[in-house]
Amino acid sequence: MSTVAPPVVRLEPERGVSPFAPPSAGIDPDPDRGWLRRLWPLVASRRLALIVAVVTGLSSLFITIGVPLVVRATIDRALDQRTAPLAPYVVTLLVMAGALFALRATYRYLLFTTAYGVETDLRDLVYSHLTRLSFSFYDRTPSGELISRANSDIRSVQVLLAFGPLAVLSTFTFLFALVVMASIDIGLTIVAVATMPLVYFVGVRMRERIFPLMWITQARMADVATVVDENINGTRVVKAFAAEGSQINKLAEAAQRLRWAAVATVDARARFSPIIEALPRLGVAGILLYGGWLVIEGDLTIGTIVAFNSYVIMISVPFRLLGFLLMQTQRAAASCARIYEILDTAPDIVDRPDATDLVDPEGALELRDVTFRYPASVGGDDARPTVLRGFSLSVAPGETMAIVGRTGSGKSTIIRLLPRFYDVDEGQVCIDGHDVRDLTLTSLRHHIGVVFDDPFLFSTSIRDNIAFARPSASDAEVESAARAAQAHGFIMELSHGYDTVIGERGYTLSGGQRQRIAIARTLLANPRVLVLDDATSAIDAQVEEEIHRALETLLVDRTTILIAHRLSTISLADRVALVEDGAVIAVGTHDELLTREPLYREVLASVESRDGAD
Amino acid sequence: MGFGAPGGFSIGPSSVQSNAEAGLPFANVPGDLADKVERELGREPEHPPPDVTFHQVVGDRRLFSLRSFLRPHAWWLAGGALLMLVEAALMNIGPLLTQIGIDEGIDQGRFDVIVTVVVLYLVAIVVSAAAGFVRASVTGRLGERLMYDLRVRVFSHFQRQSLDFFTSEKAGVLMTRMTSDIESLNTLFQEGLVQFVVQFLTLVVITAYLLILDVRLAVATIVLVVPVTVVLSLWFRRAAGAGYLRVRDRIADVLSDLQESLAGVRVIQAANRRAQNVQAHRSIVHRHRLAEAATARAQVIYGPGTEALGVAAQALVLLIGGRMVLRGALTIGEMTAFVLFLNRFFAPIQTLVQLFNQYQQGAAAVSKLQTLLATESSVSESADAHDLPPIEGEIRLRQVTFGYDATQPVLTDVDLWIHPGEVLAVVGPTGAGKSTVAKLITRFYDPQKGQVTIDDHDLTDVTLHSLRSQLGVVPQEPFLFNGSLRDNIAFARPSASDAEVAAAVEAVGLDALVSTLPRGVDSPVHERGTSLSAGERQLLALARAFLAGPRVLVLDEATSNLDLASETVVERALDKVLEGRTAIIIAHRLATAMRADRIAVIDEGRLVELGSHDELVAAGGFYAEMYRTYAGAT
Repeated sequence: MSTVAPPVVRLEPERGVSPFAPPSAGIDPDPDRGWLRRLWPLVASRRLALIVAVVTGLSSLFITIGVPLVVRATIDRALDQRTAPLAPYVVTLLVMAGALFALRATYRYLLFTTAYGVETDLRDLVYSHLTRLSFSFYDRTPSGELISRANSDIRSVQVLLAFGPLAVLSTFTFLFALVVMASIDIGLTIVAVATMPLVYFVGVRMRERIFPLMWITQARMADVATVVDENINGTRVVKAFAAEGSQINKLAEAAQRLRWAAVATVDARARFSPIIEALPRLGVAGILLYGGWLVIEGDLTIGTIVAFNSYVIMISVPFRLLGFLLMQTQRAAASCARIYEILDTAPDIVDRPDATDLVDPEGALELRDVTFRYPASVGGDDARPTVLRGFSLSVAPGETMAIVGRTGSGKSTIIRLLPRFYDVDEGQVCIDGHDVRDLTLTSLRHHIGVVFDDPFLFSTSIRDNIAFARPSASDAEVESAARAAQAHGFIMELSHGYDTVIGERGYTLSGGQRQRIAIARTLLANPRVLVLDDATSAIDAQVEEEIHRALETLLVDRTTILIAHRLSTISLADRVALVEDGAVIAVGTHDELLTREPLYREVLASVESRDGAD
Repeated sequence: MGFGAPGGFSIGPSSVQSNAEAGLPFANVPGDLADKVERELGREPEHPPPDVTFHQVVGDRRLFSLRSFLRPHAWWLAGGALLMLVEAALMNIGPLLTQIGIDEGIDQGRFDVIVTVVVLYLVAIVVSAAAGFVRASVTGRLGERLMYDLRVRVFSHFQRQSLDFFTSEKAGVLMTRMTSDIESLNTLFQEGLVQFVVQFLTLVVITAYLLILDVRLAVATIVLVVPVTVVLSLWFRRAAGAGYLRVRDRIADVLSDLQESLAGVRVIQAANRRAQNVQAHRSIVHRHRLAEAATARAQVIYGPGTEALGVAAQALVLLIGGRMVLRGALTIGEMTAFVLFLNRFFAPIQTLVQLFNQYQQGAAAVSKLQTLLATESSVSESADAHDLPPIEGEIRLRQVTFGYDATQPVLTDVDLWIHPGEVLAVVGPTGAGKSTVAKLITRFYDPQKGQVTIDDHDLTDVTLHSLRSQLGVVPQEPFLFNGSLRDNIAFARPSASDAEVAAAVEAVGLDALVSTLPRGVDSPVHERGTSLSAGERQLLALARAFLAGPRVLVLDEATSNLDLASETVVERALDKVLEGRTAIIIAHRLATAMRADRIAVIDEGRLVELGSHDELVAAGGFYAEMYRTYAGAT
């Protein structure tokens, strides 16, 4: 498909560098402007194609209008009155046919490619912006909603741009045809177009009913899809509780509601569209009646009746399209609003104007008197609990610190503040004495590696997943990272080794295997600071021990923070911070805390009691 | 995405409403539409609660085909076709009447003939509009009824399938069968079939009119117009068909890349990969653009091409017909009618050729649904299966051998006897076959050799419903359904009373959480329950099992994803739920296993040890070794 030679891409140092140019413009940033005005920079960047399209389009219009006139002249002059030869008229029509084809093809092609270009730019802009938005945005926005905006909304803008001008052009057809008809006979013109306003009004009525019904139908299709989706994903639960019967009735309920909406749409359409079809025919009947009388009276020619017949059919199209255009314009306006809503959402976390790069950090971490609440939480502002209050902790360069606490104590939050996934409300997070907010995000995150508790893998090869942060890494580097994370063994057992493509969301790998790949991914990035969020919880004791052994050597020159739930993890740490209610209660070695802190013993107690059970 | 009127049986508020209530952004009905949507919904009658009964065994074993699908409605279809004939005949009568008006009325100077013709025309217009209305209404209703039946039928078929069906087929494919395949069948029926008949009849009617007017000119016109139009349309169908397919593949690439990027956006940001991902996505969207542009090339040749062809055909009819008029072999009115008919002649040919595409898509959907509906479940109920009477909960595996792939056994000759009321833990290394034991006891799979019995009933002899309603399963990933907490807890028994739900909530210790929620157990759970913590979700799954009140409970690594504190809470709840029941705990961690009465150790698909924790440690075998590793690590 691509006309750009792919080998160029492979020579680039980083994979995935696109041979295509970025969008030549963005949308107008002023949110108070109209939707088309805001879209205009994208359209205007293609103005040459657009101008040519308008010129060829208008020219083709004259031909369309001219054809019935030539046919009329042929019938009247060459056949009825026999005052002129037939052949020149026929030749004229054939030439007009050729010109019509050339002009229309050019015009449409330019229009379509312009619309596709704008669509592509919008997709590019939306993706680029979405990947810039902060964690807090994704915490509260369902991704299905974003995908639907990026899909159907951008599509509906594209449809308007591709077909809107066509509809505008056919409105011109109407105006031109009207002028031509009126110049022939005003009375007959009035008879011919008398039903046209009705075509428009009935069309508007129809859309007013059908549009909401179609919307309901779409939403109900989505409801049916949701029932099916959940049934498939939750099939074990459905079967385990023998809930097949109630699931089927749940689907039948949704399908019944869908059926009602679809039948209502069908009915509305059945009621209106025969009327819209019939109205122009009333015009034809009127032309025959009034025009016939005029011809008998000698005021009109037969050819004129034929020409008017053609014009009535021709102008009923713009009247129908006009309605479509209005609807599509409304839709595109709504869609644009939804797209702009994304593009106008400012990321919470951005570089400060005077941000500096973090260069070769030692890895000294410090949280100073940090207070933090998650930006938005389900249930509104009242439900935003303070997660950290007056939280202070220092970690020396190269030190391994375990963080221990109950669920909800805020321990996982700390690791989201270090790479600035969120900003603190009060206090400071510092690396080597620099407030993280004074550093560039790229340099900060380059030096801090995070292993999330839920390891998300991409559906690419295992190699690409491990080399995610550094796609240029050599195969040897990938393998050594995998070995360190105890992943090399099972990877080699897979059918295609490192080239095995991970199935839907890592479905084909076990939780423990996914976690090890996620660890390898972070190790390959070779960060100065390593943060592991209970990264070994889904791994059984033996494998965990092997990973721990590997980690012990890897942790030597790195500053590491471990969110620990188990004694085995704690044993990797130099020191332990005990966290309770969003604050550090005590810091010390495991043994120190064990003797000094009753709460620490309490938190660990359940483990010990179970260790010694029976 | 969804919208629903309030109320209704067990379906709960739709996701849009619950998202809006939860204060999530981007969750509202578009403003200008909201009122109109409300008004339309106001007209919706109360639907009777659906009453579909589920049969594990299908009565109708005939193959699904378009014909068998439509046959029961043959009379309605015939009626629809008759209406279409009326519609097509009357809709195209205009040029014929115009010709009569010109030749008999205008030429003869008789205005009364013109009036008669116009009155006839008006009658034809009204009757054809009425026929169109009835026809669209009839076929539309029939189509939607067929779709409803098909949705329920395909979905019921899903329910009969065993677990391997859902893992071997990708979820996306099943989703496609239920959504876009059924939709394309609907399009085929509602638009394709109907349009096919209408356009075909239009073509027949116009050809008949032309032949009535003048045979020679009619033949000349058909020879001039039909072959070129057909060839052009066939070319376009091929060119555009391939193009559309490519565009569809490309847009699927765009969406799946977007979807994956959004799902992994946190990883992308953490790994500083944004710039590269933007570039990669750029290539994907541009490939989509190029595919669209390639398809547009076919479109811009075809559309203007047929327009130009129409004009050229008029020229040729004027030439041939005009010469006939000059010779006196044809009247001007007749030639006028030819010119007028010509414009209507192209559309049906074009549409018919285009419909072939739709037919192919529909046929592809039919064959996919046929294959799907012919799939036999690997766990099927035998014809003479009886209901399992209320059980004590004594479970036995006798010489059981099983593999997901029959050539690679996961379990080999396993013998296991679980006493009523006993708590048995199953432990072993990853991949040893622990979870498979749970799947055999719940009859998600049947063993290849040996048998599994409950209270001496072979599982393959009893009905699945009676078996599973006495078993409870708590999986590692507690799946939550869209809806309220209550809907999720009362999943097994939607008719459960508020008191029963409250008892289940209290039993597992969720009451503290529920009391903080503004709407209590009626609070919505959304986005697969991500607003709840892992521990809370697992407690919810336990409450679900508690309310179901099974005799036998199977816990498949139910605590392995939890942190220490949540695990403690869940295990406390577990004690309550396990009271007086037989339980099989597939344990990931030895800490969980040690709570059991006995422990079964599985290694490489075989039962290697069985006994209490102390016995096994004392025996100094495999378990003792596992325990030493575990204790050493802690």
